[in-house]
Amino acid sequence: MLLAALIALPFVAVDQEYAVEMLFLIFLYGAMATAWNLLGGLAGQISFGHAAFLGIGAYATTVLLAKGTPLAVAVVVSALLAGAYSLLIGVPAFRLRGPYFSIATIGIGEATRLIALNWDSLTGGASGLTLASAPPLRTQYFAALLLLVAAVGIAAWIKASRFGYALAAVRQDTDAAETLGVATTFAKTQALFISACILGVAGSVYAEHYLFISPDSVFGFSTSIAFVIMPIIGGLGTVAGPLIGAVVYTFIREQFAATLGNADLLAFGVLLIAIVVFEPKGILGIVDRIRRAGAPRAPAAPRPAENADG
Amino acid sequence: MADVVLAGEGLGKRFGGLVAVRDVDVDFERGEICGLIGPNGAGKSTLFRLIAGIQRPTTGQVRLNGRVLTGRPAHDVCVAGIAATHQIVRPFRELSVIENVMIGAFFGHRPRPHGPRAAREAALEALAVCELAERAESPASALNLAGQKRLEIARALATRPEVLLLDEVLAGLNPTETDQTLHLVRTIRDRGTTIVMVEHNLRAVRGVCSRIVVLVEGRKIVEGDPERVLADERVIAAYLGTAAHA
Repeated sequence: MLLAALIALPFVAVDQEYAVEMLFLIFLYGAMATAWNLLGGLAGQISFGHAAFLGIGAYATTVLLAKGTPLAVAVVVSALLAGAYSLLIGVPAFRLRGPYFSIATIGIGEATRLIALNWDSLTGGASGLTLASAPPLRTQYFAALLLLVAAVGIAAWIKASRFGYALAAVRQDTDAAETLGVATTFAKTQALFISACILGVAGSVYAEHYLFISPDSVFGFSTSIAFVIMPIIGGLGTVAGPLIGAVVYTFIREQFAATLGNADLLAFGVLLIAIVVFEPKGILGIVDRIRRAGAPRAPAAPRPAENADG
Repeated sequence: MADVVLAGEGLGKRFGGLVAVRDVDVDFERGEICGLIGPNGAGKSTLFRLIAGIQRPTTGQVRLNGRVLTGRPAHDVCVAGIAATHQIVRPFRELSVIENVMIGAFFGHRPRPHGPRAAREAALEALAVCELAERAESPASALNLAGQKRLEIARALATRPEVLLLDEVLAGLNPTETDQTLHLVRTIRDRGTTIVMVEHNLRAVRGVCSRIVVLVEGRKIVEGDPERVLADERVIAAYLGTAAHA
């Protein structure tokens, strides 16, 4: 029903360009956070370099469209290039575990940004690339919504499947998973590949929306950090968590962009510290806690709010 | 020897200057419960890890049904049909008891169940054997030590192993829990799984094992019938020797 409302919204609220724009951003960031969460949340491999895949998708789409390639082909190539790049870096990076893996991903992300910055003939270097024209906002809105639904569908399916159990085992105890027959490195590589492909498509949508991309925007470290922040705010390793995180992230960022510029980074810093200290399971963890606290203490009291979640 | 399911040939493991296991030849017969004993530092656990594929041997081969498994990663060894429990329990604490066991069922030795529902049924069966069925939905972290040890066994059993390696499953259990676990070990053997157990508790080993292999300082010094092996003067000397130093 929520989905039907979201589909109808751009037709009903034609004048509400701001609302459509905000929802577009929430869909796009929700899809990106969901993609990151496949590896970071389900498999527990925290990557600080995922902007690399968004950037590859965005650049591939921009370059291909400039050469007159059909959009559908450009999107597929973007996804596959990002996926191929993930295999290239996943093989060495997954030799490392825990924090060592995370540190390596910072290096990979920055190295990728520097390659984009210095490969002038393809990427235009620091001055970036521009696209001539954008599809109508309504088209973009549906593209982002479709991407989000696909990403969430993939995440929900994985979580309930045999593959999801493999990732849960990897997250909690890689050695124990190995002795139970789980090919842990292969499972992590698969999760990374799917995650990278979704981000490649997100890069296409991103490039079509902003029409301008530069190494510092799509390959930037702050972009990688955003992917980490959103699932942590909402609830790491859950299906709904990255979406909740994307809503919070988008609103905070837009509010601060209008008033205080880069102060949003400060706000996210404070928010992250608060979550790690008080509720590592994020907003969903808080909701859980309220439910559990409410249930046994006041069994007879009416609780009309309980069915309010979707 | 009749029907050898698992064999180690000339197995050795060196850690830098320390030789933990040297040139061990050992055969395990299908359907037996074999005890692997020896004083502290004899190399039992190292030999165990070599067979389970957790560590690579420096020398020698591991064969399952004649097929060489040496050098294969631990998950391949499990898929081939050798399951191992950990000496220190390692449940997936965020998952429920049955979800822990489902992971063993999903992966492990073929034929594997198709889909989550079949995996859940297979897991329930393993839990029933291990008398944990009524705790299926509890979080794994809610079990006590004896329960977590049985969960280790259930998880390994769910991988449908031909050979089950048990690393000190009795350590830390009280006499009642020890008896229950020994009963469980026999039940699993009766269902057709060969069992190799590394164990400190000699009285338990005498009661449950049909054969014993004794390691001292990384070498196999004697093997055979429990009564005869435990009466062997080399075995007594090895144990009393360490006891005298302790």
